[in-house]
Amino acid sequence: MLTPDSHITAPSIFSVRKRRQLAPLLLCVPLLLLLLVLLVWPLAHLFQQSLLLTDAPTAGITLRNYLEIAAVPRYRHALLWSLELSLAVAAASTLICVAPAWLFTRYQFHGKLVMRGILTLPMTFAGMIVGFLMVILLGRTGFIPQMFERLTGTPFLSGVGYQFPGLILAYLYFEFPRATLTLESALNKLDSRLEQAARSLGANRWQVFRLVVLPAIWPALISTFAVTFSVSLGSFGVLLVLSIRRFTLLPLEIFTQYIAPPTDQGIAAAMSLTLLTVALVTGYGLRRVAQRMGVTHA
Amino acid sequence: MPKKAGFIFCLVVTVALMAMILLPLVVVVLGSCINASLLGLSTDLWSGSRHDIFDFSAFGYIFENYSDWALFSLELAIACVAICLLIAVPAGYALARHPFPGSGLVEELVLMPLSLPGITLSMGLLATYGELRGPLLVLAGHLLYTIPFMLKVVTATLRSFDVGRLETAARSLGASFPQRLFLVVLPNLRHAMMVGSLLVFAVSWGEFNVSFLLNRGRPQTFPAVLYDTYTNQSIQISSAATTIFLAIVIPAVIAIQWFGGRDSVEVEQGA
Amino acid sequence: MKTNRIIVLAALLLAITVCLAFAEQTIIQYDCIPNYANWGGVTKAYQKKTGVQIPPDMKGSSATMAALEAEKKNPKADCAYYSGAIGFQAATKGLHEPYKPKGWEKIPAGLKDPNGTWWTVHSAHVAILVNTSALKGKPVPHSFEDLLKPIYKGMIVYDDPRIHGTGFTFVSGINAVLGGGKDLKAGFDYLKKLDANILKYAKENSYNELLRGEIPIWINADGNGLKAKNVDKAPIEIVIPAEGTLTMPLVMGLVKGAPHKEEAKKYLDWLLTDEAQHLMAESYFQPVMPVKLEASLQAKFPPKSAYAKAKVLPLDQLAAQADGIKKRWEKEIEGGR
Repeated sequence: MLTPDSHITAPSIFSVRKRRQLAPLLLCVPLLLLLLVLLVWPLAHLFQQSLLLTDAPTAGITLRNYLEIAAVPRYRHALLWSLELSLAVAAASTLICVAPAWLFTRYQFHGKLVMRGILTLPMTFAGMIVGFLMVILLGRTGFIPQMFERLTGTPFLSGVGYQFPGLILAYLYFEFPRATLTLESALNKLDSRLEQAARSLGANRWQVFRLVVLPAIWPALISTFAVTFSVSLGSFGVLLVLSIRRFTLLPLEIFTQYIAPPTDQGIAAAMSLTLLTVALVTGYGLRRVAQRMGVTHA
Repeated sequence: MPKKAGFIFCLVVTVALMAMILLPLVVVVLGSCINASLLGLSTDLWSGSRHDIFDFSAFGYIFENYSDWALFSLELAIACVAICLLIAVPAGYALARHPFPGSGLVEELVLMPLSLPGITLSMGLLATYGELRGPLLVLAGHLLYTIPFMLKVVTATLRSFDVGRLETAARSLGASFPQRLFLVVLPNLRHAMMVGSLLVFAVSWGEFNVSFLLNRGRPQTFPAVLYDTYTNQSIQISSAATTIFLAIVIPAVIAIQWFGGRDSVEVEQGA
Repeated sequence: MKTNRIIVLAALLLAITVCLAFAEQTIIQYDCIPNYANWGGVTKAYQKKTGVQIPPDMKGSSATMAALEAEKKNPKADCAYYSGAIGFQAATKGLHEPYKPKGWEKIPAGLKDPNGTWWTVHSAHVAILVNTSALKGKPVPHSFEDLLKPIYKGMIVYDDPRIHGTGFTFVSGINAVLGGGKDLKAGFDYLKKLDANILKYAKENSYNELLRGEIPIWINADGNGLKAKNVDKAPIEIVIPAEGTLTMPLVMGLVKGAPHKEEAKKYLDWLLTDEAQHLMAESYFQPVMPVKLEASLQAKFPPKSAYAKAKVLPLDQLAAQADGIKKRWEKEIEGGR
């Protein structure tokens, strides 16, 4: 039995250190294996595929697939609109989530458990399901228009589900819960003594929020934004269902490549990796900004 | 007074958001079994040609045609839980308590699928293992998304807890590694493992995008039943499928809240 | 620990139930949409008769072909159902195994491949299906030209031709109906104009949405509309456009390397029997076999005169042009901004 403080002769120290470094590594081996097989290797393979032309696989490595994304108007628009939509959804979610996050972390009350449970529910829904819920609520014969018709005679909001407000609402549906939880965890980490000090100096709740809390949670808000942005980028299920006219998103283009022949694997791979890079770069970039602002947050 | 105002404002906003979340779900659950037109609430366009107020025949259709899919999803979820426990717990212990050079990178890699576009990961798996499309590949996809959760819970507990101190104390008292593991670490991790298992279960049960792309033939996962019925069946049938889906997910989510408390907030943000 | 023991037990349960789940007798048919041509009813009847289950499959014609191609080395499907041109294309790609089901001789020569790689099981025509109550007072359109009127803005749907065969038949055939030439310009010009009134290009089967009025006007097979009107008793009117329409044979083939080949052959044989063909006729799809239909049923089909201008398109030509037409549609119509 060896203790960390035992003084032993040289050869034994060697084996102690080796064993100590080896053991945790061994515990991680299954995980590392899984990572390699499921994450690293497929991404590498995807990268290789993106550099080859599907209809001329022996022609050698080329960047044409990536260039096509910029050149073909359809793909270019898909990328741009994906970015725009994700930015809008991330901003809206971050804004909306402040109130619930604040509520859950600063107050105690009955029913908090159930409320938080309901809040996390949409995160288990796939985008496609949310799309269908949107059609059921706000389609041409959706529940809400039919209610309005019953009550007032005119079906207000009929068909809104198939337009941009419907799209944004659907995205918000499953994004703002995630944003709320991210922000909650940051708020939990705040040192409440700062707030208490401010209160004891005479500030009211709003002043405390504006002058003490807000500056402190800026980094948290930024990472909430980053996470929501990355996840929205990859979501295509909603648009698949709503099929908004003259509008497309990059992940949907990737998906269409695979279910509607003929499939261009090179382009699909290039688009997938472009999406990944944008998400990674944004996430990383925003996290650095947050870190530089001082307060680090998981 | 200002104290109350802040609370009320936040409460009102939050309740409004809850209502927005619940509205479509309530509509759907009711739509699956209640003939609203008889209650004067909606037109025939929704209720089809049913005659009773309560009509559970849609559920019968789901059970008849898709019960093997529900079973498959449940099995997948349980398999994910088992594999996550076996793989992520030891790894989490190693990463949190005995970091080695590069362990930070490993943790980052594991957590990456949570914040990356799912379609890219699916495409990667398809491109590499496309031939193996089927239940195994679906399980692989699920693992990509569920292992991060288990790992997060375990490392969070091991880092924020006094487990470190307890373990060192045990070690200084002469406990061997197996003894420390079974008498100190695992008992303290029990709570985390339970919350983690529930999370893994809920995520695996609800996972659709990856499963849809990576599966072949039948059975598919249960969320695919939702897709099938929404695209090709009446509202009653798709609502029934949604109700069954919710019946499994809601208890899991509430249980996570119940057991998790503060810990669950740390972990769920990655959901 | 208790939790661990439960997990282990559950994992064992998994192994057992996985084995049990595969014990049932099934045939996989790609493109077996319950509400299209009443495949739901047809497969249910077969199950009642033989105990073999054919589960619903929601893939459209092109999606089916894509799936078969992807699974070439390890086929999961036993048979496939398509709209004529796509089925022809799939057969030329070597995805089917030649098989001549019982009653082969009775199928007219133009509706089958001489070697048996595909054959027609029933046919329909492209029609305009209208949910009259969802129109809310607007007049029912009577021609393709009518559909261009601005009053129908946001009311018209047809299936995405890259995924569904009926949509493809419409997109590729409208040119011939409007009297256009080989360059397909007339057809695509029409589609461009129609685009202004389109609600969406459906990626999924829209039968139920037509029923509940979510989609007031659906360009699809007349059989589906007739079933909605006569079987599901919805306020649907089936309009055979004044300019004419397209006859669409719907074909099937035995998949090469089918996992349940013998069972699939029996099923394909059964689909050409009087019983099955009659079931299909009850869903208002024209049976390919000479089946006697009751007068009352025959009466519910639109009169033969309505189909006077129905055009039959050469399947081989369509199949050859299929990829090109899809790409062109994607570029000019769907991508048109």
